[in-house]
Amino acid sequence: MAGSGKAHMRPDGDRVLTVEDLTVEFRMSKDKIVKAVSGVSFDLLRGETLAIVGESGCGKSTLGKAILQLPKPTSGSVNFLSTELTTLPKKELRDMRPAMQMIFQDPVSSLDPRLPVSEVLAEPLRVWNRGNQVEIDAKIDELLNAVNLDPKVVRDRRSYEFSGGQCQRISIARSLALDPTMIICDEPVSALDVSVQAQILNLLQDMKDRYGLTLIFISHDLAVVKAVSTRVMVMYLGKVCEVAPPDALYLDTRHHYTKALVGSVPIPDPDRAVTKGLIMGEPPSPMNPPSGCRFRTRCPAATEKCAAEEPQLREVAVGHFVACHHPIS
Amino acid sequence: MSETSQLSTTDVIDTPVKVRRKRKRPLGFYFAATWIALIIFLAVFGWILPAPSWDTSFYDSLGVHPFHHSHILGTTLDGYDMFAGLVNGARLSVFVSLVSVTIGGAIGTFIGVTSAYFRGKIDMIVTMAFNVMLSIPNLVLSLALLSVLAYSDENHPATMSRRVGVLMLSLTIVIIPILGRIARGATLQWSSREFVLASKSMGTKNFTIIRKHILPNVAPAILAIGFLAIGSVIIVEGSLAILGIGVPGGASWGSMLANGRGNIAYSPWEVYLPAGAIALTVISCNWFGDYVRTSLDKRESKI
Amino acid sequence: MSSLLKIDDMSVRFQTPRGNLKAVNNVSIELLAGESLGVVGESGSGKTVLSRATMGLLPGTATRTGTITYNGQDISNLPKDEVRELWGTGMAMIFQDPMTALNPVRRIGSQLTESLTVRLGMNKKDAKEKAIELLKRVRIPDPEAMLRKFPYQLSGGMRQRIMIAIAVSCEPELLFADEPTTALDVTVQAQVLELLTELRKEANMAMILVTHDLGVVAGHTDKIAVMYAGDVVEYAPTRQLFANMKMPYTEALLKSIPRLETPTGSRLPVIEGRLPDPTKNEPGCPFANRCPYVTDKCRAEKPPLTDGGNNHFYRCWFPIGGVK
Repeated sequence: MAGSGKAHMRPDGDRVLTVEDLTVEFRMSKDKIVKAVSGVSFDLLRGETLAIVGESGCGKSTLGKAILQLPKPTSGSVNFLSTELTTLPKKELRDMRPAMQMIFQDPVSSLDPRLPVSEVLAEPLRVWNRGNQVEIDAKIDELLNAVNLDPKVVRDRRSYEFSGGQCQRISIARSLALDPTMIICDEPVSALDVSVQAQILNLLQDMKDRYGLTLIFISHDLAVVKAVSTRVMVMYLGKVCEVAPPDALYLDTRHHYTKALVGSVPIPDPDRAVTKGLIMGEPPSPMNPPSGCRFRTRCPAATEKCAAEEPQLREVAVGHFVACHHPIS
Repeated sequence: MSETSQLSTTDVIDTPVKVRRKRKRPLGFYFAATWIALIIFLAVFGWILPAPSWDTSFYDSLGVHPFHHSHILGTTLDGYDMFAGLVNGARLSVFVSLVSVTIGGAIGTFIGVTSAYFRGKIDMIVTMAFNVMLSIPNLVLSLALLSVLAYSDENHPATMSRRVGVLMLSLTIVIIPILGRIARGATLQWSSREFVLASKSMGTKNFTIIRKHILPNVAPAILAIGFLAIGSVIIVEGSLAILGIGVPGGASWGSMLANGRGNIAYSPWEVYLPAGAIALTVISCNWFGDYVRTSLDKRESKI
Repeated sequence: MSSLLKIDDMSVRFQTPRGNLKAVNNVSIELLAGESLGVVGESGSGKTVLSRATMGLLPGTATRTGTITYNGQDISNLPKDEVRELWGTGMAMIFQDPMTALNPVRRIGSQLTESLTVRLGMNKKDAKEKAIELLKRVRIPDPEAMLRKFPYQLSGGMRQRIMIAIAVSCEPELLFADEPTTALDVTVQAQVLELLTELRKEANMAMILVTHDLGVVAGHTDKIAVMYAGDVVEYAPTRQLFANMKMPYTEALLKSIPRLETPTGSRLPVIEGRLPDPTKNEPGCPFANRCPYVTDKCRAEKPPLTDGGNNHFYRCWFPIGGVK
């Protein structure tokens, strides 16, 4: 796995985002280069929710930030609303920013502790001169109502007065302020209690329907993305393993790594809680990834071919793509 | 939210309730605030007080004890009024330290914040420059600057204003890397927070982010160290006076100390009073700085 | 099996500017040697306070009442230094964030051997050998190299393994694990939970696993205490609890867990409303304002902890499946 290829790109449809051969590398020192994302391609149609799933260090967050050019990727292309972002001059890139927003994992660190909620939400509106103070105030109330917070109660409070779930609601409200086309949600619920996770996931769904959003949902937990996504892309060590609709991915798992992810989801049932298909160890260092298929060092089905040759994404069922020499049949 | 924050009760309160705690301030805070207020009052309004001129010698009352009916804090062996001297010294010390710490702090903060925010080559150069500056003992730097820029001998006496000016310049240069490093460190920490990234992703301009998000958050650390810096500036000024450079003629606390040092056997108050003023002011600045930091940091520690 | 830890009628109160905060109310729990107990609840349910109070790790603003019996000895009024004796030898603890629990400027080796040389009086050579053995026990490949590393060089999962190695180094009889996997990836979470269960079985170690996720405790505990607003609202053997859930709150908590079986595009069931203000003394069941089955009786009177047979206790007037 952990292959390249573009078999999963769709030729037509109303595309919001097309990412091709995106590579992000960080130079740590003279000869140490972290290959965070290596040649990832995917597309995103209007109204879709693409889930990007993988362990820490698989490059999923880096990929999300690279799409927003924060920072710019090392190579590859990011085409957003028919505009190539990687070569766009600074000023024009800035003009694109309102259309693409991001929500972060840490709900508390996402909000400036010194600013009251009204200022947090007013910031994007002021930056883009969206109306006078009265209009901005009205917009803030509308946003807070949309995320089910009472404007009268929360407007003047600061982030430390809120619980994690409430902070995440405020972050979502902020990301909606500029009427974006696409929002990248980077692990928006993994810092929250299980009981609050469901609330935030539902809220994201509601916002998507209400504002006609296209979402990228980054998570390490397949169960979390199951309910909200229309397409799932599994990543490992900077490469794509498997792309499929969520049901197919769960019911008809083809990649050995995806199987491990599925098997790791804790099941609240003592009779079924025995872990199955558990993979041992942790991913190798992205500074020196394995040759061929990057997953081979932890893969139960690895052969010599996996070390020699990098698997390409290929279609195994309609809309189901896998990058593996020996997929689970 | 982290489970441990439960213990601080913030998480338990799911409906946010505004809590305005009345914090008990430590006794030291009141002491420090009172002393600093007194010094500033004397520095600004000292001239109104019914005290004799600080540079007039009373030949009929040499070495008068403190609490004497004619001179409240006594006089020096040369007949100068101690109270007038201390008031005048307060003005000079407050002026010199405030100006140099403010200017040095502003320059240092600007350099530190921008270099840490943008990183890259500039940041490397700035860090190196700060380290080089910090490695020169501040007394040596001030000595060198004063003896070059305000050189003075019998034939070419340097004017008072020139000496004070060079003194402030040298102290400003000392302050820049101290506060610059603090600002840089705090900025590194804050600019990695996700709200800064969120702001960037909304298209906010870099200097707006620095002004709105970085500066208010790094301010507590800088203010706290700034107060400490005022204390150390006063000490440097005193040390320079004792070394015979700096401000001459008993115009500052340090200078009074330098003049009075030879008379300690006859009129010890000439040493104790200015030394006490310096010590109390430095301690007060430290306490006050500590208090400012902890009270401004409270919000951060609640997270 | 003998009783290892017995908490009897324990309450914890915090002195806050807003008044007396009730963090834990009259909780009684018993743990046998080698047994594993899951304490489950939302943020603010009092689960962390319960485990800290048991270990004597409460801040000065807290008061604790009730008795704690450990190995037949009443430790609730023990002086601080004798409680400290118990740690490491009798009890050990692992935390949610292994980064802050490890000293960032010391090598793993020195942190690991510290407790061995200090508590067990081992010499350096023996301690090093024991440290390598411990690292092998927590399934760390190449333990010799690990001894020379610093915490920042390790992933979250590796750090948690180190914390576990330190915790089990003095062969404790009881391990407190406070959200040990919340900060970890699901794959690593599964590994760490598996490891804890294996270690427990090897050494007959009892464990209290504090978590907000019913899925985490399902496969790794013998019994479960569900906490809500400082009360234990359901207390039962794990299988019994999942097979025969009595509390509407436990049921709601279970339903809100995102699952792989969830149909795509569906709305997840949520628990509406929020925890009651812990500084107020309101009548009735604390869960009443969020409960789908609420009646007038629930609002008026707080239900007692009821014995439903089969070691199954619950705090509800109208338990699911009716009263036996």
